Amino acid sequence: MVGVRIDKLVKRFGDTQVLRGVDLDIPDGAFAVLVGPSGCGKSTLLRLIAGLDRASSGSIRFGEREVTELEPRERDIAMVFQSYALYPHMSVRANLEFGLRLRKTDAAVMQARVDEVAKMLDIGHLLARLPRDLSGGQRQRVAMGRAIVRRPALFLFDEPLSNLDPALRTQVRVDIRKQHDQLGATSIYVTHDQVEAMTLADRLFVLQAGQVQQSGQPIEVYRAPINCFVAGFLGSPAMNLLDRELSQSDAGWSAGELAIREPQAFTQLAPGREVVVGVRPHDTSVCSDEHADLRLHVDVVETLGPELTVHGELQTAPGRAFIAALPSEHAVRRGDVIPLRVDRLHLFDRQTTRSLR
Amino acid sequence: MSPVRVLARALTILLALWVGLVAKPARAEQPVQLWHAYRGAEEQALVEILAGFEGEVDVLAVPYDAYAAKLESSIPLGEGPDVYIDAHERLGNFRERGIVAALPFAVDPNQYTVNANAAVHFEDQVWALPLSQKCLALYLNTDLVSETPASLEAIAALAASLPEGVYPLAYEARGAYAHAAVLAAFGGQLFDEQADDYAFEGEAAVRSLDYVKALLDAGVVPEDADGALVTTLFAAGKAATVFSGPWLASDLGDAIHYRVVPLPIVEATGQRLRPLLTVEVALLSPRGATNPEAIRLIQALAGPEAAAIRARVARSLSARVDVPSSEDPLLAAFAEQSELAQLMPSTSAMRSVWEPANRAIRKVLRGDMPTEDALAEGRGRFDDVRRPPPPPASATPLVVVLGLLSLFGAGWLIHRARTRSGLAALRRSLPAYAYIAVGTIAVAVLVVLPILFGAGASLFAGKSSEMVYVGFGNFREILTARGGSLLASGSFYVVLAVTVLWTVVNVSLHVGIGLVVGLLLSRPAMRLRGLYRVLLIVPWAVPSYVTALAWRGMFHRQFGAVTGLINAIDGWFGLSIEPIAWFARFSTAFTANVATNTWLGFPFMMVVTLGALAAVPKDVLEAAEVDGASRWQRLTKITLPMIAPTMLPAVMLGTIWTFNMFNVVFLVSGGDPDGTTDILVSEAYRWAFTRDAQVGYAAAYAVLIFLLLLATSRLVDRISTRVKGAG
Repeated sequence: MVGVRIDKLVKRFGDTQVLRGVDLDIPDGAFAVLVGPSGCGKSTLLRLIAGLDRASSGSIRFGEREVTELEPRERDIAMVFQSYALYPHMSVRANLEFGLRLRKTDAAVMQARVDEVAKMLDIGHLLARLPRDLSGGQRQRVAMGRAIVRRPALFLFDEPLSNLDPALRTQVRVDIRKQHDQLGATSIYVTHDQVEAMTLADRLFVLQAGQVQQSGQPIEVYRAPINCFVAGFLGSPAMNLLDRELSQSDAGWSAGELAIREPQAFTQLAPGREVVVGVRPHDTSVCSDEHADLRLHVDVVETLGPELTVHGELQTAPGRAFIAALPSEHAVRRGDVIPLRVDRLHLFDRQTTRSLR
Repeated sequence: MSPVRVLARALTILLALWVGLVAKPARAEQPVQLWHAYRGAEEQALVEILAGFEGEVDVLAVPYDAYAAKLESSIPLGEGPDVYIDAHERLGNFRERGIVAALPFAVDPNQYTVNANAAVHFEDQVWALPLSQKCLALYLNTDLVSETPASLEAIAALAASLPEGVYPLAYEARGAYAHAAVLAAFGGQLFDEQADDYAFEGEAAVRSLDYVKALLDAGVVPEDADGALVTTLFAAGKAATVFSGPWLASDLGDAIHYRVVPLPIVEATGQRLRPLLTVEVALLSPRGATNPEAIRLIQALAGPEAAAIRARVARSLSARVDVPSSEDPLLAAFAEQSELAQLMPSTSAMRSVWEPANRAIRKVLRGDMPTEDALAEGRGRFDDVRRPPPPPASATPLVVVLGLLSLFGAGWLIHRARTRSGLAALRRSLPAYAYIAVGTIAVAVLVVLPILFGAGASLFAGKSSEMVYVGFGNFREILTARGGSLLASGSFYVVLAVTVLWTVVNVSLHVGIGLVVGLLLSRPAMRLRGLYRVLLIVPWAVPSYVTALAWRGMFHRQFGAVTGLINAIDGWFGLSIEPIAWFARFSTAFTANVATNTWLGFPFMMVVTLGALAAVPKDVLEAAEVDGASRWQRLTKITLPMIAPTMLPAVMLGTIWTFNMFNVVFLVSGGDPDGTTDILVSEAYRWAFTRDAQVGYAAAYAVLIFLLLLATSRLVDRISTRVKGAG
């Protein structure tokens, strides 16, 4: 079990720079999630950590050990692939034993470990089968088992749930977290799915364009996104981002028609400053007409059960899409104009996109 | 008619239909058809002769190798030529097959030489008109030898006075055709008086061979010389004298000064060397004999004007006595020689003499065997080829089996039609049958019929014109090695062992090299791999016989590229590796064949490997890498097991191709030495085409090959199912 420390890691493919100086610090035993849109470099970063690709510059350390130039097999890691990458010509048991055999593990020990893992993942009845005779979920568990049975210091997961159907995904997500807590080894998990990211991570790293935009506990990152990208990327439905200008009056600070109710939370407030105002759909609520910050002209209502996702246009700015998430007891229909109160907002500089908090 | 005859007749009709499908459709009233196999100056002479002929003639020049086969297959169908030109020694065979007609007009024997008359007269009839005569004579390089040596011993004695590297004499010592001349000087013959039997045995044969062996051992005559080498040596001034025919003169330029004289005597016996004489003749097909135009043409071809043109343009020696030849010293010399020559017999038995005689001569000259033993073996081979066919068998068992089968089949059909509402089902499926009809017919005509025809032919023995039903007689003879030792050279089991060795070695090399090259080429990091891929596929794209001939040339002992390479290595490193006589020993001849076939075969396996590798997911290999597998372990434990199911069918295909790789064996080693490198198909070919046309026997070989391959592929299928089951 090791912590992982990455310094100024750069990866180029020809002229394209995929990683532009990434710094990561993952404490021993943590569950780290790398999240970002496709093409952000998160899979490349994972492959560099695994040793499947070589870094152009920078360093990777596992604990005190410098591993940047080491072969994957010298790194004491295990990886679960998106496609599971099971050995198709071997039985499940042989798949599990493969890494142990290569390390010339004693037969009795091997047997014991395979049985233990099979029990833990409930795949004991599948041991004699070939991968092609397994369902998607079973394959996923075998792939997990193949990683666990080796007892590596570090687990790497490359979008391991993306080939599963949604119901199974939730269950396996929980299983993965459980197993992590049980085994206590450091895990690095790559996904583009923010639900996985939020639910699994001890430490979240949001990547974009080959750089870490923000890291921290998921809830911190969610509550205080450091820039427009992180703000827009995390959270579902996505945060509404509106271009406004700051102004100060007797009533206090406001950004366009939106009143800033807690100006003390922000720095650098100046009248006339051009900002981006971020409003999470969940931070809106229906209010009486006179207290309304915004009026939403409703186009589409999606009923999710406990809440409604309301898509519409702001009456003050026709053509600007806006989303609100409201409790489902409100009867909202297409064509309604509903008054909304913004309970909490985020401010970003329009040029730098950085938070004013 | 007996059932046997019916079956034989049916087979003949099938054969006729077969050839008829391939041959051109009949034409209406048309010009006289003339076929020949001439090339070069002789063809020019023919063109000039025809230019002076009043009448329309269609001329077809047929490649020599295919000539006899084309004649034999087309004339019986009323196709082919009215008039054709060939060597007289084929006359016996042509008469047996009825593809030549006796001349329907009188011929004055006084117009032709004695030998020419003898060549065309049979049973008081004249069967062809003689055109020209060919035989070996002695060519002297007058720059190297001023006086005509009086004897073979005098030629051998030239060695002392000739420059380094010049042979006193070159000729095709390893061939029975040239050896017949030496044999005559010792009072021996290849054929007996009636030319019905092999006569290459006894004291004369032993002495003649020992004499020639001594010449080779003394370095007087080069070893392993073929016709091309004789020409090359003489044209390059590397041979002071050669035995060769009139064809050599046309290959020599003005740079070489030479003279032609009759072959010398052997002092040991005081007798003269007497070469075999071939008479080129013009023949009439049965159709041509009824065509006045064809008769006019054949007379013009054999007339004195034509002979004069032939003498002038092609310098060929006329078979007529009324064409003066003394103006051209070359023709004068050949005229003198031809009177001393022995006329080549034209019986069909004669055709079976060559292979055993050639093999015996080679064995002696190579020093593989005492002369007497080699000659006895030759005798045995001749008898083996000329042995009587297996006794005719009663066809009753066959008829009964076929009858029972058809009865059973009919019963089954009726049963089906009655039960399960068979007719209705059939009617429902009619559109489906229509869809597969074309494919079924194509497969039936192209695959099933030939197999049935071949299998049927294996039950018969004798010449194709008079096949006799012998049941499983051919198979019995093959499997009992015709009463000889099962382990004797040329027995089915020995050839089978060679074939299996050949297949195993080749396929291992194909797969091994194909895999390695495929793995190298599949590495994305490699530069220019597209180019390499194309270059490496080239051997596969070149027709195999072209490749085979090129490799045969490269393995030539004196002039091949391999010898050139050995010489170069000797030069660079100061070594003294001797050039290898590749086709003198089994091991080297086999190696040469394998080298050629490996060159031909590995690209296929490479392509299959590349295809199979493309189907191995990258992340599975990466998973193994993370799991701790080294590069080698990833190859052996992941890549190879994963591509094995794809490779197996290709290996099976490669096995079948190699098992039947006729081209390479036939063209590179040609079975040398002594038929030991022959595989089953080339052995079958020899039975069908060089050993007295034993088609039925060859067909039995083919059926055995078919059964062997069928069994093998079933076996591999089993294995591959198991591999797939496990992987």
